[in-house]
Amino acid sequence: MSELRFLPKEKKRVLISNRGEIAIRIAKACRELGHTAVGIWTDNEPAAKHLEFCDEWVRLPGKTNAETYLNIPAIIKLCKESKIDAVHPGYGFLAERTEFAEALEKEKIVFIGPNSNAVKLMGDKATSKVLAKSVGVPVIPGSAEAVPSVAEAIKISNDIGYPVLLKAVAGGGGRGQRACFSEGEIKDHFEAVQRESQSAFGNGDLLVEKLILDPHHIEVQVLGDKKGNVYHFFERECSVQRRNQKIIEEAPSPFIGDDEKLRQEICTTAVKLAQAVKYDSAGTVEFIMGADRKFYFLEMNTRIQVEHPITEEITGVDLIICMIQAAFGEELGIPDQEWIHRTGHAIECRICAEDPITMLPAPGLVTGFDTNFPQGIRFDHCVYKNLDVTPDFDPMVGKLIAKGIVRDIAIRKMRSALKGLYIEGLKTNIPLHKVIMEDQVFIDGNYTTTYIKEHKPQDRVKKTKKYSRFYKLLAGIEAKRMGM
Amino acid sequence: MRTYLIDHEQNEIVFDITKTLVHSSELVEYEFCAIEENKVIDRQTIFLRKLAGSFFVSTDGKQWGKLAKQDLPSRVVHVDSVFNVFRGYKPSGLSGAGAGELKTQMPGKVVKILVNEGDKVIKGQTMLILEAMKMENEIKCGIDGVVRKIHVKNGDTLESGVLMMEVEE
Repeated sequence: MSELRFLPKEKKRVLISNRGEIAIRIAKACRELGHTAVGIWTDNEPAAKHLEFCDEWVRLPGKTNAETYLNIPAIIKLCKESKIDAVHPGYGFLAERTEFAEALEKEKIVFIGPNSNAVKLMGDKATSKVLAKSVGVPVIPGSAEAVPSVAEAIKISNDIGYPVLLKAVAGGGGRGQRACFSEGEIKDHFEAVQRESQSAFGNGDLLVEKLILDPHHIEVQVLGDKKGNVYHFFERECSVQRRNQKIIEEAPSPFIGDDEKLRQEICTTAVKLAQAVKYDSAGTVEFIMGADRKFYFLEMNTRIQVEHPITEEITGVDLIICMIQAAFGEELGIPDQEWIHRTGHAIECRICAEDPITMLPAPGLVTGFDTNFPQGIRFDHCVYKNLDVTPDFDPMVGKLIAKGIVRDIAIRKMRSALKGLYIEGLKTNIPLHKVIMEDQVFIDGNYTTTYIKEHKPQDRVKKTKKYSRFYKLLAGIEAKRMGM
Repeated sequence: MRTYLIDHEQNEIVFDITKTLVHSSELVEYEFCAIEENKVIDRQTIFLRKLAGSFFVSTDGKQWGKLAKQDLPSRVVHVDSVFNVFRGYKPSGLSGAGAGELKTQMPGKVVKILVNEGDKVIKGQTMLILEAMKMENEIKCGIDGVVRKIHVKNGDTLESGVLMMEVEE
């Protein structure tokens, strides 16, 4: 029998220290490579969907995230008990905690992510900016390190000029940040942002930086290996955001459009930064781009990101598999940068259990779930009938990804897919996504991070009560009662 | 059979099933009507067919739409409203919270209480901060008045629908 290339030499035991759709995605990748996927269950989610895709299940006792997914000693203990070779942290939780990467290193357990030094250098937004500046990557003016007090924050803000952004040193995913347009607003919000950061990331330190108005959020996917190669997989635009959190992402960026020179420039800048920290895994370099097409380094996410699938769709690469292979020092199967190509356009809509108009989290029980998608759709999710979405975890329950040969076709496919995504029993943002996919500003690709705030697609979510929808749902209930 | 749909703001929609015709084990015809102030304001026939384990519904017997697979749901959602379904009876004791009663709309954790019992408060004033789904939510007062009673303390984890504070006009 002939041997396949790019198969791991050894079967490893991989612990997935995460839950939800990303745990499912990682488990599938482990199985594909022939590794043993070990899934975690906790006392507040004993019926976790991701276990279905894992080869082995282990219990991590506790009811709060602090006791479970954020508990480094407990996870290390579990690794030793279950003879784990490697840990994939997914995103969120411990994915970007240096202490976790170091603790695993100490136990000779492979951290499926970058080396702990890269996590450390990039994990702190202040030091990452200093480092970026030193290798010639443009950065936004702001405080060089954590700001100890409100007074200090105001002093720096007066120097660089308003508006400014207060943000958590340890933050990510848009949590723990707030725009301030005056001295008074800094006074009002400083404490709250500190508290939010402390509770979300276990670190209340804050930075102050100049806020670029009407910006585009553009990020570059990079991938490194242990031989020192760093590749980029082009950019993603993530400018549709609410509360500084992304809800729709697309690749390539419609703002960069056909400007291949700019695309090349931003992508090679990202690679330069990744090389400077000897980056050896999948990661994302985030930039902010103003209307003048000047871009500034924002931060580097030293983990797999929520929106990685759109890059996979346009380049054909499997980023999770590459991450695992890179962590074990194996061949990625990528000859050189020029070999990486992109075709078509991909869009991702984050499906969240939230009110489509206020966009506030709305936990609840999924009473019904079904899909009817056209060609070109990928749905990475953890939804099932009877899923209880609790306030303990992020309200995102799935990611709907549409791929088309051009952007308009991707949008058409996304519209059709949204119509064919049925989640019953709790509020979701599907009606909002439907409105955005029909909105001219979005269709023109002419939007910035202020899109939700200024164009207010949420106000155009149709609220008219159509009795026929209720009749149909009630007919379903009656039929069930009749035992059909 | 009468069915009541009631959302958390006590908005109510009432439906009656006025006809059930079983054509076969796979096809049933229903007639529904919507009732407002004891008057029938809308009436429609719905055909329901079972196909490959799923329910399909139609208003004309020609165009069919799929229903998501469900057990017996106790809730239905319309865009931004969640309705509880009560079949055959209308629940009592569901009287709405007065404007001066602050109740949790979702489960969460009390981060900070910003007022004390006896404080004078105004409409729109932030009374406490509740953390839910990793986000801080400002809970605001609905009326001008005086804080009569605070039922929660910092760090409390609350279920949905819990009375947190009472304000007297």
